[in-house]
Amino acid sequence: MIADLQQLLARVATGDRVAFRQLYDATAPSLYGVALRIVRQRDRAEEVLQDAFVNAWNRAAGYQAALSQPMTWLTAIVRNRALDELRSGARHGAAFLDDGERGPAADIEDERLDPLGLLEQAADTLAIRACLDAIDGLQRQCLALAYYHGLSHSEIADHVRSPIGSVKVWLRRGLAKLKRCLESPA
Amino acid sequence: MNYDRPELLDRLAAEYVFGTMSARVRRRFRAVQLALPAARRAVEFWERRMTPLARSVPPAQPSAAAWEAIDRRTRGRTSRPVESAFSRFAWLKPALGVAFGAIITLGLARLYPTAVAPVDEFVQQRGTLPASYVGLLTDDSNNPVVLASSTRYGRIMSIKMLRKLDVPPGKVLQLWALPKEGPPFPLGVVAPEGQSSFQMADTSDKLLFGVPRLAVSVEKAPARAGTTPAPYLLTGNCVKLW
Repeated sequence: MIADLQQLLARVATGDRVAFRQLYDATAPSLYGVALRIVRQRDRAEEVLQDAFVNAWNRAAGYQAALSQPMTWLTAIVRNRALDELRSGARHGAAFLDDGERGPAADIEDERLDPLGLLEQAADTLAIRACLDAIDGLQRQCLALAYYHGLSHSEIADHVRSPIGSVKVWLRRGLAKLKRCLESPA
Repeated sequence: MNYDRPELLDRLAAEYVFGTMSARVRRRFRAVQLALPAARRAVEFWERRMTPLARSVPPAQPSAAAWEAIDRRTRGRTSRPVESAFSRFAWLKPALGVAFGAIITLGLARLYPTAVAPVDEFVQQRGTLPASYVGLLTDDSNNPVVLASSTRYGRIMSIKMLRKLDVPPGKVLQLWALPKEGPPFPLGVVAPEGQSSFQMADTSDKLLFGVPRLAVSVEKAPARAGTTPAPYLLTGNCVKLW
């Protein structure tokens, strides 16, 4: 899969539009899922996806396989664009997924979509579950809300009903611990 | 060893990748990445470590309109990295990188007051002071060929050849200063490819303060003061950044 994506990216770098479409088909659902969790609106998530793929098309020749895997490279582009979109503050009028919108939002009650559940699932995959479990529960929850939903400090404070100052401390400490987990996975 | 500096950049990079920065801080840190390769490397490091966390997110199917829009927006545009804003100004990177780095330091100081000294030292860690005088010399077709830069009070002129020049055997490429007033005077000899440097007769500020243009000619030997230059192969503006 990784080798396939690398080959596709190499062809995209030469302007191969067939390869570009294949790359899109292979990766867009995962990347759209990431964008959707962050911006929480399907129209905005599609805008993020569009910008990210246009960006990837323009930058494909600069992709360095030695530095990152294709999905890491693409996901970073999508997350950065999604976070910028979210932080822009320009909320659109469409319904939020969390507000019970149909379609993709119908799965919102699915426990797989709980941010803490996503973090734990990722930790299992990355073999850092024991390290993650050693992080204080509130810190873990703040980390999950920040990473998967892109929530700001104040939004997280509202969500966990705690002072924003505490949330900042929890996030900073939690991130420091998570960094150590990711630096030296079990 | 002072671990503050790498820790600061490492922490900022992790916060950027993880997404806990505000819009304003994100913008500033992106500017830091443009200026400081160490910041970009730190971000790339954390992207490799943290992005796999996103693998647990369930996929979702975008509408057909998404691809149609992407297809439309990329039609007629070749996939080339040089299209990025940063790459367009890559020729100025050696000079602007350090200069911008210093400016970014001020921005970071406002965001993270306790971090002023560490980031400032990061700028210094690049090994040079910010370039003050920068020249870009182009050929007859206006293609950039030589990037010349020097520090304000330094005597070293750094040269980067943006493409190789063919120099006849036994000849040298001579860099000239073309002052606003008075005849051209020689600065030094540049290598036909890659990066090189030479020592000037005096500091940049004294030699180049009144010099708006630079030129390169092919000479039989390194030129001495008072020599008349051969026809110029390349010419370009010389600007003082600060």
